[in-house]
Amino acid sequence: MHIEKRKKLSFLKRIFLIELFKGLMVTLKNQFRPHTTVEYPKERLVLKERFRGVPRLRMHPETAEELCVACGNCAEACPDNCITVVAETRASGKGKQPKIFIIDYERCCLCGLCVDPCPTKPISAIYMSHDYELASYTREKFITEKDRLYSGHEKREYKK
Amino acid sequence: MFRTTEMVINMGPQHPSTHGVLRLLLRLDGETVVDSKPVIGYLHRGIEKLSESKTYVQITPLTDRLDYVASFSENLGYIGAVEKLLGIEVPPRANYIRVILAELQRIASHLVWLATHALDIGAMSVFLYCFREREEILDLFESFCGARLTYNAVRIGGLYQDLPEGWVEECRKFCELFPSRMKEYEDLLTINRIWLQRTIGIGVISAEDAINMGLSGPMLRGSGVKWDIRKAYPYATYRDFDFDVPIGKNGDTYDRYLIRLEEMRQSRRIILQALDHLPDGEIRAKVPRRIKPPKGEAYHSVEGPRGEMGFYLISDGSEKPYRVRFRSPNFVNLQSLPRLVEGHLVADIVAIIGTLDVVLGCVDR
Ligand code: SF4
Ligand code: SF4
Repeated sequence: MHIEKRKKLSFLKRIFLIELFKGLMVTLKNQFRPHTTVEYPKERLVLKERFRGVPRLRMHPETAEELCVACGNCAEACPDNCITVVAETRASGKGKQPKIFIIDYERCCLCGLCVDPCPTKPISAIYMSHDYELASYTREKFITEKDRLYSGHEKREYKK
Repeated sequence: MFRTTEMVINMGPQHPSTHGVLRLLLRLDGETVVDSKPVIGYLHRGIEKLSESKTYVQITPLTDRLDYVASFSENLGYIGAVEKLLGIEVPPRANYIRVILAELQRIASHLVWLATHALDIGAMSVFLYCFREREEILDLFESFCGARLTYNAVRIGGLYQDLPEGWVEECRKFCELFPSRMKEYEDLLTINRIWLQRTIGIGVISAEDAINMGLSGPMLRGSGVKWDIRKAYPYATYRDFDFDVPIGKNGDTYDRYLIRLEEMRQSRRIILQALDHLPDGEIRAKVPRRIKPPKGEAYHSVEGPRGEMGFYLISDGSEKPYRVRFRSPNFVNLQSLPRLVEGHLVADIVAIIGTLDVVLGCVDR
């Protein structure tokens, strides 16, 4: 399919600057549309449900037990080697639980591959949270230990 | 008494119109370019080599970061090569969704191109409008896979997740709105006399030269060569859809502008067809947990927004590829730059880099 031929402007259209006014009309029309600028951080967009922030761990929503069985599948799947899991036997019940669970947010590329192989069905122990404001003054803060993986980052609110 | 001397001038690597970190070594005679040499490699990340130390699944997030304006197409191409190695049949629903997303990605990528190209040439408002529409596509991607730029949504054998509820309607809404928005860009540019003067006859390349240099995508089609991987070697389910491949005649910047605009319309047409016939069923084929392709090699290429994006993998039967090689359209298209700018003015270089639509992330793999 050939693209249409170049448009030759007629003499009248040329001297009356038709194309200029057509363009101006577009900008004029857009003055009356709602604004698209979001004044972050005072205003925030609503995140979509599947939004991928940093990975975090979660407890069982009903029994409040640790879901993670310290199998290490997530650590193996991670392309950036940012997960460290050390297992210990569970205090109550059968199986294992993580003694140490560290995610190094400094290296995490937010790919979400760690969530795929988690065996704790139907709720996977590791999930992509909605946390995305992670700036910090020290690099150590990015090495996130188990407690903080459960509780998440503290949020700051800004007044308009 | 009056004489001119040739001067060597560096443009970039941090010039706002070099779309990343391209450095151009220009030999100028006054304002006219005598000779130019693109210097690349400022961004080199060694992704090909790095891939050899990762498993097949772990490479996907790396391909996101090659051409970061069209991550989904890159994902699709790479996963296609792995699927060829493994001999996996992808379920039709997954294939349809892949096509929809790939075409949305093409529109999003072309919008970035139009925005920055117009901004380079001096049209500010087009930039703002294009990014507004791109935002809507990114919203669709965000609700599908949770990321806005580096999607990592394709998995070997299908997709990670099915479309969320209400997605199809959202997508349809965007498709209905989009033509009126396209008309606005056209009103601003297509017959604008400044735009015409800055683009017609600038950066001309003949069909023969374009083929000899191995150009692909709109760069090749602008010169009148009808070559599109979606038609030549249909992957996914492109065979099922009815669409045209726009080609130009003069091989100049203006033709390539018209082609990319038409491609956006055609993409929308494909999306609407795919949405109408979206089949039900599985979105992921049965794939072993540990992916170990048999010995062999595979090459798979997709028609990305910038041209043929190819992925070549050699497997030695282990979990990690033995050799990985990416054929990047940006890298190949970039070599035509000295030919395109020769004899033009310095200001035209900006327009020509824009028409090449380079993403340096994909050049310096
Ligand atoms: S999101 Fe990706 S990089 Fe981050 S911990 Fe999970 S697998 Fe690793
Ligand atoms: S988070 Fe899931 S995959 Fe990772 S160690 Fe725990 S149970 Fe295994």
